[in-house]
Amino acid sequence: MAAVIGVMFAAGTSMILRPSLIWVVMGFGMYSNATNLLLIVCGGYAPQWQAPFVGASAPGTPLMDPLPPDIILTAIVISFAVGALLLTISYCVYLDSGTDDPEQLT
Amino acid sequence: MSVLIVPVLVPFLTAILLALLTGKPTTQKALAVVSAIGLTAFVFWLLRFVDTHGIQTMVVGGWTAPWGIAFVADRLACIMLCLSMTVGTVVTIYTIWSVEPRQQEYFFYPLFQVLLLGVNWSFITGDLFNLFVGYEVMLIGSYGVMMVGATKPQVRETMRYIAINSIGSTFFVVGCGLVYTTVGTLNFADLAERTARLSGEQAALVTAVTMLLLVVFALKSAAFPLFSWLPDSYPVVPAGVSGYVAGLLTKVGVYSLLRVFVLVFRQPGHELALQVILVSSGFTMLLGVLGAMCQWDVRRILSWHIISQVGYMLMGVGLTANATVATAAVAGTIFYVMHHIIVKSSLFLIGGIAERVSGTQELKRMGGVLDLAPGVAGMFLVAAMSLAGMPPFSGFLSKLVLLRAGLGGGNYVVVAVSLVTSFLTLFSMAKIWTYVFWGRSEREVPAAPYRALMVPTAVLVVMTIGIGIAAQPFLRLAADAASDITDPRAYVTAVLGAPRP
Repeated sequence: MAAVIGVMFAAGTSMILRPSLIWVVMGFGMYSNATNLLLIVCGGYAPQWQAPFVGASAPGTPLMDPLPPDIILTAIVISFAVGALLLTISYCVYLDSGTDDPEQLT
Repeated sequence: MSVLIVPVLVPFLTAILLALLTGKPTTQKALAVVSAIGLTAFVFWLLRFVDTHGIQTMVVGGWTAPWGIAFVADRLACIMLCLSMTVGTVVTIYTIWSVEPRQQEYFFYPLFQVLLLGVNWSFITGDLFNLFVGYEVMLIGSYGVMMVGATKPQVRETMRYIAINSIGSTFFVVGCGLVYTTVGTLNFADLAERTARLSGEQAALVTAVTMLLLVVFALKSAAFPLFSWLPDSYPVVPAGVSGYVAGLLTKVGVYSLLRVFVLVFRQPGHELALQVILVSSGFTMLLGVLGAMCQWDVRRILSWHIISQVGYMLMGVGLTANATVATAAVAGTIFYVMHHIIVKSSLFLIGGIAERVSGTQELKRMGGVLDLAPGVAGMFLVAAMSLAGMPPFSGFLSKLVLLRAGLGGGNYVVVAVSLVTSFLTLFSMAKIWTYVFWGRSEREVPAAPYRALMVPTAVLVVMTIGIGIAAQPFLRLAADAASDITDPRAYVTAVLGAPRP
């Protein structure tokens, strides 16, 4: 899993460094997904872990830690909003200047 | 104490109402001003209350700390809230006259409230992940006000600003996740307690993780070597709001550094981060002022000066690495933040007025504002002298406190650098003075009406004189706030209850 996350971050970085806004936006998508995966790994996961509801499972069964999924949900919402904003602005830049290469904007 | 949600709730509700009122500019402006003044009065009351009754906390949703979302108001948080709302109110009043119809159509007022919401949230939260959420709200608000009106340069610079900040936010979430894995909590008080008990490999691991957060906060506060985004993006912010953006946003980064690296992470070896900050502060000050000296545009000069001033505050944060002067250094930083937010905002507002008077942003073509608008020139002189650190204004005292902490800790190099920077700041301010205020204007009358804008700006200018002359209560407040930060016992007890065995 760590290797997958590493590769995703590396891919995201290389995409962000491309001279094209649409690649940059996609790079951020990659980054945010890599982050979410990393948070899952942080929280730990095993199939036999139960959902942590009060009274839903017998005492002594291992429970899932609910906080990392919480954080992931919030992070997904935020990265979704920022991603949408980025896409819109990239499109505005394209409409304004006819190019999506940040180097050529004047 | 459940009223702690008010500084977050009021801008939130106001933003919604203002968005619904789009198309009725007069009602919008009235509502924005009333809401800002009301909230300012509230946060000043809160500061007074916290100062006499100690740290107040509130945990959302009936959970107990450290599991619920904690809001904590200690002196530092209240001071920052007061500054945020004072400048927020002044800027709201200033924009009554400075905002253009086109900007108004693009939801200017709701976006500004979102910005206030994010900044207040970042100050009052007591939880690392919530700090991230506050940051995001603040950033989305700042993208909005930066874009408002959507001219070509605005769109281009905002794109860059969003890109760099999104990278920062990603690392922030990663940092939160790693802190949670290594320490097992995200609540500030709980973190402070648990990290102090760590040792050996665990402590080193936490130090390594905090370096990620250091990069994030250094990026937000525009510290060396992560400042290159600032001088391009701030000049495109519409005049007026630029006062708030310039005054507050980088200081949220400084506040986070103070909160997280001085109060929260206390594992053995946490001084490493502070030493990195200290080294970075020297470069930040010097490169910031050198950058300012080679610019020929008022807003750009002032933007570069933000970087150099952030260097001073970082110096204060960095000096806490030496435990003997830690409290003095934090007190100096807090006092410096108070001074800086007020002066920097007023300079940006005055710059905006000078642009209206002369009809241009280019330094070499401005000239003669002294003849056209002598009052503006007077206010600039006070604010500029205060920024450069001349007595009797607030800048002198704030630098004095920091330098004494620096000399007490034996950090002579950074003290020398800060003195050189101070001198160069004076030089750079003299350049603005010479080109903008002296000389002969091409015009007979001011290019646009400006007198109404001077009233809110004058409030800030008077405050910088006031803090300089009647400094004792402010210094006392800063010192008390500093001892809350350097000794976490009161904070931990206030949030988690009596110490556990």
